[in-house]
Amino acid sequence: MKMKSKYGLPLGVFAAIGLMAGAAIADDTTGLTDTTIKVGVMGPFSGNASSYSKAQIGEMAYYKMINDQGGVHGRKFELIQEDTACQPAKGIAAAKKLVSQDKVFMMHGNSCSGVAMAVKDIVVESGTPWIVAHAVNPNISMPPTPNVFHGVPAGPAYGYTMGKFVMSKPGTKNVVMVEHSNDWAKSYADPTRDYMKTKGIEPSMVLAMERGQTDATAQVLKIREAKPDFIVASLYEAETVIFLKDLKKYGITDIPVMGAAGTDLENTLARIGDIDTVKNYYVPHAFIDTVDGPGMKEWNDIILKYYPGETITGFSYVSIGSAVAVVQALKNAGPDLTREKFIAEMDKIKNFDTGIFATNITWAADDRHGVKESAVAGFVDGKPTVMKSWNEPM
Amino acid sequence: MLMQLTVSGLAQGAIYALIALSLTVVFRATTVVNFGHGDFVLGGAFGVYVLVVMLGLPFLPSAIAAIILMFACGILISRGFIDPIKAGPHIGFAMMSISLGYIFRGTTRSIWGREVLPMPRVFDIPPVFIGDIVITGDAMIISGTVAVLLVGFFIVFYKTSIGKIIQAVYQSERGATLIGINVRRFHDMMWGAGLAMGAVAGILIAPISLLHPDLGAGFLIRGFAAMTLGGFGSLGGAVAGGLILGVTEQYAGAYVNTALIDITSYLVILVVLVVRPSGLFGKRAVVRV
Repeated sequence: MKMKSKYGLPLGVFAAIGLMAGAAIADDTTGLTDTTIKVGVMGPFSGNASSYSKAQIGEMAYYKMINDQGGVHGRKFELIQEDTACQPAKGIAAAKKLVSQDKVFMMHGNSCSGVAMAVKDIVVESGTPWIVAHAVNPNISMPPTPNVFHGVPAGPAYGYTMGKFVMSKPGTKNVVMVEHSNDWAKSYADPTRDYMKTKGIEPSMVLAMERGQTDATAQVLKIREAKPDFIVASLYEAETVIFLKDLKKYGITDIPVMGAAGTDLENTLARIGDIDTVKNYYVPHAFIDTVDGPGMKEWNDIILKYYPGETITGFSYVSIGSAVAVVQALKNAGPDLTREKFIAEMDKIKNFDTGIFATNITWAADDRHGVKESAVAGFVDGKPTVMKSWNEPM
Repeated sequence: MLMQLTVSGLAQGAIYALIALSLTVVFRATTVVNFGHGDFVLGGAFGVYVLVVMLGLPFLPSAIAAIILMFACGILISRGFIDPIKAGPHIGFAMMSISLGYIFRGTTRSIWGREVLPMPRVFDIPPVFIGDIVITGDAMIISGTVAVLLVGFFIVFYKTSIGKIIQAVYQSERGATLIGINVRRFHDMMWGAGLAMGAVAGILIAPISLLHPDLGAGFLIRGFAAMTLGGFGSLGGAVAGGLILGVTEQYAGAYVNTALIDITSYLVILVVLVVRPSGLFGKRAVVRV
């Protein structure tokens, strides 16, 4: 009883504040004024994964370009950048700040699946529309929740692409898979296997190559005996280089190798320094062209206009496609914007050509994986080339 | 396939041997197991990377400079971090070496991030084909360098007065002090030698494995496994252990399951400690009561 009299008033005040905060979060026009739309952009702007933040730089450059064109229905994007350093704890703090303190209209960004999974509950409960534009863990947007959209190919989309490309090579019957024993590799290898199975093909051999291995002799000699038509290698960058070098070392230069999305064609060549070793190496590639290709020039120009001196890599484009779709949904929602209208318009995005992704975006209330597959990049006559399928350039 | 696996295993094992030997040198001279050694192995490679790739200096002088730098690092560690805690519990050495290694790894991460860095290939020797067997230029360079180093090291250890000093300190620090050996300075030199040898291993392997801050951890456990197999404190054992481990990894991967390659080191440590704790060439510890 004594306690009640002592703390009753403060508790009542806190409760009232809590209710007001709840009401503010639920407010359908949170983060909007007549002239601005507040967008929270979370990314690893510092730390050892800071190269991933190029994705957020690309996305912000696109929004700044839209601002210079007058914004959407007179509203300009007010971008609030928050650093996660690719660490879940920092990500949680950043998400809470954006939702509760900055009161953004929507969030767009998020590299690092670990961070995205850690902040998922906070964002879902707040009702803030969230476009995940880099992290690939499919569970971020599974099961579907009303306010979460995946705007980049998730792991299964890449795995599907890998399997489809492998099977598009005429006469592919014998496939050997080499992979790390971790969830990352599994997220690529399992959908690849699933796709091949639909075509009646099971891998003739599944070999492990773990992180940190500096020699792939045992794997390569087994592959030499198996004589496969295609090799699927779900390996990180360093191990990919070691594996490809050892294939060359033991004279296996004519069997194509399908890599996972964690590797990049140009970087793999730069690290190996020998086109002959990578001439049959292919990687999933989400965009219409390679970094130096003419198709990416307009996007490179946008990024460099707003971030002069930025070094452009494949990461720079990752979040732009979903930003294009967001702008379209905002336009479609009209001037009397609310979160509800925005989410409804996002769900109406069907087969939407972003101009940068190789494949179109489709969202639905029961499927928030917007990008279902990707293209593939490989060397054709020594030049990086984006392909739809085997021997079929975009 | 057997011969090819053996050749590759020996080349890989030569690196493990060098790492195990450098661990053994420090252990034998100071009784400290350097748990940060994997990260220091990479120190030499990162030194070369900075000098050759970033500053554009020629490889050989850069490699020598990196080895000298790591030698100096070893002296600094001995004098600045190990010597001040020598009166404390032995676990303190382990904690200190782990901390130093992690600080080194964290520093390289903060500079280079997760980037996987290509190291330039210095000697472009074409592979030699003997029937179906391929002996690569890298394998020849690694095996040759390691063989020369090992021979030189064993001569110093067993045929010179420096070797006698090492033996004396290993047997009794107090006795060595009584006959006028500066044990403190000797420890400094051995830490320096250990890190310099580790640096050589890093410089040799980085052009093959590529360079990234987390590469050292895998080498450390292989170095420990080679040390355990050969016998703690045995120099010849460390070399034999490294070579056997390299070949065993290849056989296990090719004839049993490729998933075994990564755990061969742990299996070796486990089996040796249970079946023959003194290893192949170690002496059984005798405690007089």
